[in-house]
Amino acid sequence: MGLDLSRLEKEFDWLNTAPNSRDQGATGYRIRLPEFPAGREFAWAELLLPRGFPDQATARIMLSQDAVLHIPHVEDSGAICIDGDPGPGRGYSAEDRIRLLLFAYKERFLDPWLSGQMDADFEEEPLNYWLIKVERHRSTHDPVRILWCVDKPPGHPTLREGLLLLPSRIVIAAGANEPITNRLVSSLGIMGAQRIRVRLADIPIEHPFTPFTWPRSASDIDRLINGRLGKMDRIEFQRPIRDRRRRVHRVVLLRNDKCRFAYLLPDGPATVIDNGTCRRAYPSQTIPLPLQVERVDPSWTVGRDQHQEVSHRQKQHVLVLGAGALGSVVVDHLAKAGVGFITLVDADILATANIGRHLLGVESVEKSKAEAVAQRINLAYPATVVTPEKISAERWLQKNSLTKVDLILDLTGEPKVRWHVNCARQEHCCPLLIGWMEPFVAAAHVCLLAFGTLWMTGTTDRMGELEAVTWPPDVIRQEPGCSSKFQSYTAAAAAFAVALVAENALKLIDGCVHASCVRSWVRGQRFLDANWQGLKLNKWAHEAAPYDGIVLERPFT
Amino acid sequence: MAATKNTRAIENADLVRNAESRRSKVLAQTLAKVQEGIALDDAAGNIRVFGPWARELHYVNQHIAVPQVEVDKAAEAYNDVANHLVKKLKWPNEAIKVLPQGSTSTQTLIRSPGNDKFDIDAVCQVDISRISAQDPMRFFKTIGDALTEYSATAKKRCWRLPFNGERFYLEFTPSVPLEKASSQDLDTMAPLYRPDQEYIGTALAVVDTPTEKWKTSNPAGFTKWVDDTSKRKLIRELIAEAADSMGKSASNVSPVPDQDVNISDTLRVAIRLFKRHRDMCARRSLIGKEFQPISIIIVTLLTQCYAGLHDLGRSYSHPVQLLVELAELIRDMVPEVDGEFRVDNPTVPGENFAERWNSDAGQRQTTFRTWCDILAADMRTILAAQNEQEIRSRVRDVFGCPPDSSRPNGSGGSGGTKTAHRPPPPAPITSGLA
Repeated sequence: MGLDLSRLEKEFDWLNTAPNSRDQGATGYRIRLPEFPAGREFAWAELLLPRGFPDQATARIMLSQDAVLHIPHVEDSGAICIDGDPGPGRGYSAEDRIRLLLFAYKERFLDPWLSGQMDADFEEEPLNYWLIKVERHRSTHDPVRILWCVDKPPGHPTLREGLLLLPSRIVIAAGANEPITNRLVSSLGIMGAQRIRVRLADIPIEHPFTPFTWPRSASDIDRLINGRLGKMDRIEFQRPIRDRRRRVHRVVLLRNDKCRFAYLLPDGPATVIDNGTCRRAYPSQTIPLPLQVERVDPSWTVGRDQHQEVSHRQKQHVLVLGAGALGSVVVDHLAKAGVGFITLVDADILATANIGRHLLGVESVEKSKAEAVAQRINLAYPATVVTPEKISAERWLQKNSLTKVDLILDLTGEPKVRWHVNCARQEHCCPLLIGWMEPFVAAAHVCLLAFGTLWMTGTTDRMGELEAVTWPPDVIRQEPGCSSKFQSYTAAAAAFAVALVAENALKLIDGCVHASCVRSWVRGQRFLDANWQGLKLNKWAHEAAPYDGIVLERPFT
Repeated sequence: MAATKNTRAIENADLVRNAESRRSKVLAQTLAKVQEGIALDDAAGNIRVFGPWARELHYVNQHIAVPQVEVDKAAEAYNDVANHLVKKLKWPNEAIKVLPQGSTSTQTLIRSPGNDKFDIDAVCQVDISRISAQDPMRFFKTIGDALTEYSATAKKRCWRLPFNGERFYLEFTPSVPLEKASSQDLDTMAPLYRPDQEYIGTALAVVDTPTEKWKTSNPAGFTKWVDDTSKRKLIRELIAEAADSMGKSASNVSPVPDQDVNISDTLRVAIRLFKRHRDMCARRSLIGKEFQPISIIIVTLLTQCYAGLHDLGRSYSHPVQLLVELAELIRDMVPEVDGEFRVDNPTVPGENFAERWNSDAGQRQTTFRTWCDILAADMRTILAAQNEQEIRSRVRDVFGCPPDSSRPNGSGGSGGTKTAHRPPPPAPITSGLA
């Protein structure tokens, strides 16, 4: 360490610049501590310059472990979480970076702590401190590792069942009969092979817990349960779920919309975990185990609580016709956006030629596109149920009515399908989105048809007249040895089309489309020239010519 | 014939006798151990024995006080609003009077754990004989309209002024002094309950917006009742320290009382400490916030208990002893009359502060009992502490008080940095979403 801190010692007379060797090549410099008021002490503080400082590393102030969970803004390692050293590449000398850190320590940490100004700061980031507590209690042979919430906090304290999944050691805070539980169990596959029912007290809380207020002992938790659960629930909470098993795992979940805390209570049954080092977990007989709690409910996984529309989308059923390069990826987006139910119809099998621009990859070659997409999405997103139908769209429409469908997406590009959809909508009308791409994805279109607007009123299919380019016949190529036609485009170019379709489908689902229209993504002349010589935009699309691409909207009448 | 409700006021002494007959006495036994060997009339001995607890409870009592600088700020805002109302309403100056009410006027205002806002309650009294505002809703709206600049929002009986960016909000309750109303007006106003004769001079009609009717209220009478009761002597040999003088203010605006209360003012200390205890129980989720005992019930029960103990001729050697007594008796101070729980408003006969206890499937009553049990258990834990350090740590833990703090001295106690060259702060960095 080639730094000379003697000048700093003169400026900060509480810094001792005698270096001390620390782990991983770091150097520590002790900081003289003030006289503390009773209860505000910590054993030591140190300026830590890690190996690589100043060029690759950032200086920090470290405190003794007694400061962790006693003083706000102290991380599990003892490092103070303040913006002190701006780090390399910001135009400061190493000496000035240390000065900034020492000033920050004194002015933004030590003084506020000593004067009590930081006392309420634990409430600012309660879950950070909870995770420190969880980490401190965690061991490799705990019967439960984490708890997953699948719904909103209850309005009042509720006794319910949860499901402990082994060997993952995840507790799902919902009963085995609830659909989302089954979906999560399926998603975890072998990691959820064994299922054990557990007792769960689900208790809403008004304020986040902090190290000063969270329950610290079994008797604290008993007091909380006695105060919040009714008498009958308290008795039930103690009882085994099955008569043959005397002991049962009991979990207390304490949560509100912003924070979640949980404890596995002592005296649960021994549990087979077989994690390589330990076969059986024996829960503590006396000490409750704090648990990390994660949310997997749709409001969080889909929209991080910032999209109120998720709860409406959860009830929607969307029929998607076509699981090709457009349909497969659009379905993925709809699932990520929280659409509750999707029926995906496609009779095709995935071929190697598809994988460059399809949601699926080589692992799904020779599998049904609809089934493989459904499987993938059902495993990935617990907020959505995709039902695959390995039949043609025409066939599906002949066999089913649209009575339970809230929106149809026709992403097949097939005239026959459009005709069949048109007929089905005459029987039972629901909103329709027809989406398609032109060659090279030089343009992509969504036709949004509200209730009452039909695609065809006579026998004329209007797709051709809506297109941006009149295409020469040789652009569509014949695949050797095959009757199907194809035109090569990149997945990157198609991403614009996917976004156009997905975004507009969600607008329809959210009830934000009030009049039927066509929205088109149209690339400019430079894009056309780069892909095929002599292409011209049709008159309605001329506006796009000077741009890389723009979205144009036209009424559909 | 419809059954008539028994609304006869229950004597405080009877309430206390009833509570005494049901008490568990565990807390009293713990207290007796602390006092072992000390004669009841040994004032010096009792002060010595209870000293460590008294010091810590005093610390808590000080800690939970809303800092004077914040009270002053709120008082300033309160005066501004009062003056604004006087100007805006263009009613005769002497027709409007603004007074503090609730915990502000009873000197039992405490700060919430954490950084939550505190509220300053005020009642805006309008002499009905000088204006024409007999229609309750129109009267309520007139005051609200005059407060538009303060972004006032209507609540059940008051207007809330948020004062964004401040630690407090104000709640203004439009009201009419019943004393000033003619007998004809009084009948027209038809308040739900008639005021108690003892407090008739301060009785008001406020607007109950859900029913769109007048409702009798008596915040000043209530304050007087608490004040009068707190002056009754229950502690032997201890002299209460003189109260601090009140601040100055315009003649039509009563000042916000100083919130500094000495431990020898045991009734107010009990009210403040027990309210804080309730708040900490809610913070710790030991009781549900929705059904927690409301402050007016805690104040009423403690004041009734205090008054009842005095009526029965009880006396105590030390405020700590009295606090323990109140903590144990409060649990059974709510009588059940004709199948209904009752906490009578002493200044408005017939008004039951516990009205909602009778229509919530027992939730509030159970929560109240739970809180009382926790309070008694916590007091027991505190009394069982063996030395000063243990007493300090238990008291502060129970009441959610942080350790002592020191004033920043510019060096953080670590030495100076005055000669240190301060580099300019780093320029902000904008992160991209990825």
